[in-house]
Amino acid sequence: MSEKVLLVDDEKEFLEIMSERMAARGMEVTTAESAGQALSLIGKQSFDAIIMDFQMPEMDGMEALKAIKDKKPELQIILLTGYATVEKTVEAMKIGAMDFLEKPADIEALTKKIKKAKAEKMLIVEKQTEEKIRDILQRHGG
Amino acid sequence: MGTLEIETAEQGMKFFGRMSASATHEIKNTLAIINESAGLLEDLSQMPGNRKSGNQTADRENSLPAHRVLDISQRVTRQVKRADLVLRKLNKFSHSIDHGTKITDLGETVGFVLDLGSRLIEMQGTRVELVPPVLPIRVETHVFYLENMIWKAVEAACDAADGNKQVTISFGNDPHLPLILFSMQAVKKPSMDALFTSKQDKYLMEYLNISIKKNKENNGFGLVWPKSI
Repeated sequence: MSEKVLLVDDEKEFLEIMSERMAARGMEVTTAESAGQALSLIGKQSFDAIIMDFQMPEMDGMEALKAIKDKKPELQIILLTGYATVEKTVEAMKIGAMDFLEKPADIEALTKKIKKAKAEKMLIVEKQTEEKIRDILQRHGG
Repeated sequence: MGTLEIETAEQGMKFFGRMSASATHEIKNTLAIINESAGLLEDLSQMPGNRKSGNQTADRENSLPAHRVLDISQRVTRQVKRADLVLRKLNKFSHSIDHGTKITDLGETVGFVLDLGSRLIEMQGTRVELVPPVLPIRVETHVFYLENMIWKAVEAACDAADGNKQVTISFGNDPHLPLILFSMQAVKKPSMDALFTSKQDKYLMEYLNISIKKNKENNGFGLVWPKSI
């Protein structure tokens, strides 16, 4: 099954090319030009991974990361940035970013990370489902 | 070097770092698009039908559509031009340090600072409109620190702007009484109260011989020079 990816970047041309390249690698890509648009999309659609620029107008990557993780903790987020400082990387990882990639990124490396993100998301969802079932069984005296 | 010079130089370094970081980030974005464009061409060339078969007629028929190649090459050209523009601005900015003190046109300098910081302004979500002066307004000052002061004022105005989040920058009408005006439709009161009250701001204003005047309605302020040449 193909990976469902949300690509978020305020650079329209970057979105156009990247989505074409990712689609050629079998991914199902949705694009958003702002963090606000991304937040609205994750409420309506299901994604395996989010690839997001770290510096965007209105809401920066760190704020967007927090907002997405609050809404959908199981979502795996890979941040793309022009320059990654150690401080920012650590802060983002603490908030829950799965990984960091510097622009220009290698598409094959990004593809591997997306596959890893999907696998991690599936593990989290499975664990959540198991917990729900256990909870239901306990409540019904099973 | 006295405290005034040291404090001013430290602020200048921070300003230089902030502007350079923003410019290099933009160049990285253009490089990312150029990199992906090259990658896309490679992807397209690897698609079935585009691999060289040895049969000249078949290769010609199956070759990459010309419009796609043209589209990608135009994209690369656009990004190269964009990066070149950013580098030109950064180069001009770097040279403003070597200029030291000289006679400078205020309208041009404000325009340049806005252009240099356009990405940062956009990130903040504020719109800045520049109304150029009717007549040239010239002051003799340190160009780099003037740019620093203008940027501080732009940031302060953007920070204080409320309502439609628009800042209008205009100039006084008397070319002998240099004045840059920052007006907002509505302002956040705490931001206006805190305007240029820090020790660093005062050092920079003293160094440039500039004073600050808030307007009566308290929805704007001006940078005022004692006189021009």
